[in-house]
Amino acid sequence: MSAAAAPVPQPAPLHEDQERVRRELEQTWAQPPGLWHWLRSVDHKSVAKRYIVTAFIFFVLAGLEAATMRAQLSRPENTLLGPDAYNQFFTMHGLTMMFLFAVPIMEAMGLYFVPLMIGARNVAFPRLNAYGYWVYLCGGIFLYLMFFMNTGPDVGWFGYVPLSGPEFSPGKRADVYAQAITFTEIAALVGSVELIVTIFKNRAPGMTLNRMPLFVWAMLVQAFMILFAMPWVATATQFLAMDRLIATHFFNPAEGGDAILWQHLFWFFGHPEVYIIFIPALGFVSSIIATFTRRPVFGYPVMVLSMIATGFLGFGLWVHHMFATGLPQLGESFFTGASMMIAIPSGIQIFCWIATIWSGRPRFTVPFLFVLGFVMLFIIGGFTGVMIASVPFDQQVHDSYFIVAHFHYVLIGGAVFPLFGAFYYWFPKMTGRMLSERLGRWNFWLFFIGMNVTFFPMHQLGFEGMPRRVYTYLPETGWGDLNLLATIGAVTIAISMLIFLINVIRSYRGGLPAGDDPWGGETLEWATTSPPPHYNFEYPPVVESRSPVWESGGAMPVVTGLRTDVRDVLVTTLLDAEPDSKHRHPNPTIWPLLTAIATTILFVTLIFTPWGAVIGTPLFLLGLLGWGWPRGREKREQQLVESEA
Amino acid sequence: MRATRAVADVRHLPRTVFGNRALMWWGTMGFIIIEGTTLFICAVTYFYLRRNFATWPPQHIYRPGLVIPTIQVAVMLLSIVAMRRVDRATYRMDLATVRIGLVICSLLILLMCVLRVFEFRALKVRWDTSAYGSAAWAVVFSHSTLLLLEAAETLAITKLIFGDEVEERDLSGVSDNALYWYFLTGVWVPLYIAVFLSPYFM
Repeated sequence: MSAAAAPVPQPAPLHEDQERVRRELEQTWAQPPGLWHWLRSVDHKSVAKRYIVTAFIFFVLAGLEAATMRAQLSRPENTLLGPDAYNQFFTMHGLTMMFLFAVPIMEAMGLYFVPLMIGARNVAFPRLNAYGYWVYLCGGIFLYLMFFMNTGPDVGWFGYVPLSGPEFSPGKRADVYAQAITFTEIAALVGSVELIVTIFKNRAPGMTLNRMPLFVWAMLVQAFMILFAMPWVATATQFLAMDRLIATHFFNPAEGGDAILWQHLFWFFGHPEVYIIFIPALGFVSSIIATFTRRPVFGYPVMVLSMIATGFLGFGLWVHHMFATGLPQLGESFFTGASMMIAIPSGIQIFCWIATIWSGRPRFTVPFLFVLGFVMLFIIGGFTGVMIASVPFDQQVHDSYFIVAHFHYVLIGGAVFPLFGAFYYWFPKMTGRMLSERLGRWNFWLFFIGMNVTFFPMHQLGFEGMPRRVYTYLPETGWGDLNLLATIGAVTIAISMLIFLINVIRSYRGGLPAGDDPWGGETLEWATTSPPPHYNFEYPPVVESRSPVWESGGAMPVVTGLRTDVRDVLVTTLLDAEPDSKHRHPNPTIWPLLTAIATTILFVTLIFTPWGAVIGTPLFLLGLLGWGWPRGREKREQQLVESEA
Repeated sequence: MRATRAVADVRHLPRTVFGNRALMWWGTMGFIIIEGTTLFICAVTYFYLRRNFATWPPQHIYRPGLVIPTIQVAVMLLSIVAMRRVDRATYRMDLATVRIGLVICSLLILLMCVLRVFEFRALKVRWDTSAYGSAAWAVVFSHSTLLLLEAAETLAITKLIFGDEVEERDLSGVSDNALYWYFLTGVWVPLYIAVFLSPYFM
């Protein structure tokens, strides 16, 4: 413990004033009922829950789009969707899954659980956190409104030029694509700054870097990846929007622009994106495996280094998406090597998990089943990944259904299965209710079987030459049977999702009470109530090991001395998490929402006229000013705490 | 909620801290990384597109003017000295120096905004003339949006710091703003070399 935090000679009589402390904290951190207070909330748990629910709604929408596409492809020459509608459907499916579901929901899980796992009361910048959510919501609503008005993007989720340029995509569909991405990138970047600063500066005293839970490490690596990857796509889409709106020539070869430049800019983001989605899932898996084998994950330092290595290597692979563009052979060889190399840290982690399960006492609950499903599916996706890292093989299956099969195994197996495991694992903490194990098993098995029935035949369809993104095919191709099988698999997945929804709704209303720690968890979120109070912990906990809940014995060690009449939080040092200063957190406010609305006005008007900048920028600056200007309660509280000295 | 036992007391910890001890310093660093990456991408694009032309600038386009952009670089470097003094004064809680320094810096950033308008003219090419023009405008325009935001923030902070009830935390905020200022002005030097000088030797 640092010199600044004076040791207490005798245990303070916490029990005597615990009731008073609790009452005062309740009052100070309260989020009163009503729409007005809901809109102003800056509690990380409220914001994260909104993210999760919203992202899940988008997941359902993207799933319905997928189901419609599968219905269209279930037999040759089907007429359910025409080519124009099909283009919009597959673009919306990809955009929604990648930008409105996968990245936001992974970050949201971090925004909910990281502060709890590190013993903090909130994220570092609560208002910024709320702003990120509102921008994300506005972006999602905007995208779907345009889709429902038949102006949905139709250029694929990677929007290649020249197809998406002004010559081949007249109208506003490609502009909607570019601007919708900008919305979601802002939200993701804001979330990443939140996570990094919270993890660096708000950890519980004693939680040195080498005692941080693996999930927190995963979110830290993911946040850094977002920080360095997202600006690439945000800039690329702005270049595209400018090519379309004000006749710049970034991607116009006739005036010295370059179509391949788009691919470089997009994939320098696009490949790390896969790991941005996948690395938090590694954190879920480690948390679940530790709890359900009742032992810390084997090889902690190797696990951490593997995640960091994956984060670095993830930036060195983007060209393997461009093997068919005619790049120099030496470059292709380098990226083949780099692509194969990433299997090493992934393999190390798989072996560490197997060692943990081997030496533990596994309990085959639903979260654990999803983890086992993840291991199987991700290994299949990983194997096909190594296959297509090889240029000659990639040239054969490029843009075929083999690729569709590969990335669905990686993304559903590698990210969605662990995510569902995480839902089952942490739902009791978030709601105070257990999900039904019986329905959960149905959910798991139907999802697992449906996933394989849908996507495994696609490998063969790819070998048989079926290209992706075709709205129909002729009977003579012989692809009908396997496509029908894939559609049957998609229906199975849809049923499993329906069971999941029923399970969530039923359990939320009347599931078994969970108690604080229903699974016997290892990390700090299990040391508080379910659901946690707005202030998370009455006193900041002190961490003395990597498994604080398992090893703290009877009473949890804590620090005292934070005020209870203002939103006081503890700031600690970066490496050793020694108490360093106290910080008064801001109160709830409507300004993040208003600033997000100003941001929306700016982005949406910019689709139609460059004067949108003149209209939107002052509104945005006004929002920032209102947000940060100290007044009223904020000012009184700041004077109060500064008068302490 | 589990039973607890107190092992340390933090009531004597400070509330106002500076530099990398402050949360806002780290938040500012996060945004510096994001915006620095964005500017880097603009510069990468500029040099990537260079490969598509036999000459740089392309034929029939003048090289950019150097007088105003060079004055701009000088003003920016000078402003770092001024902001550094403000930054140091915040650590000493020297409100008088902070106030004077912020007025000077506000005037300097307003001057930078005016010079920036002339810098666009000094490019001597429109954004829609060719990919060269698009790339050069992208670099200058991206930096300009950050310049505009920093101008707004500096003016707001200056107004705040002249209020009746200046708090210690406000001074810490001034210091964090200084960090962003160093980035904004410092990063312009390589970008100036890329956009205004490199056409003379590439």
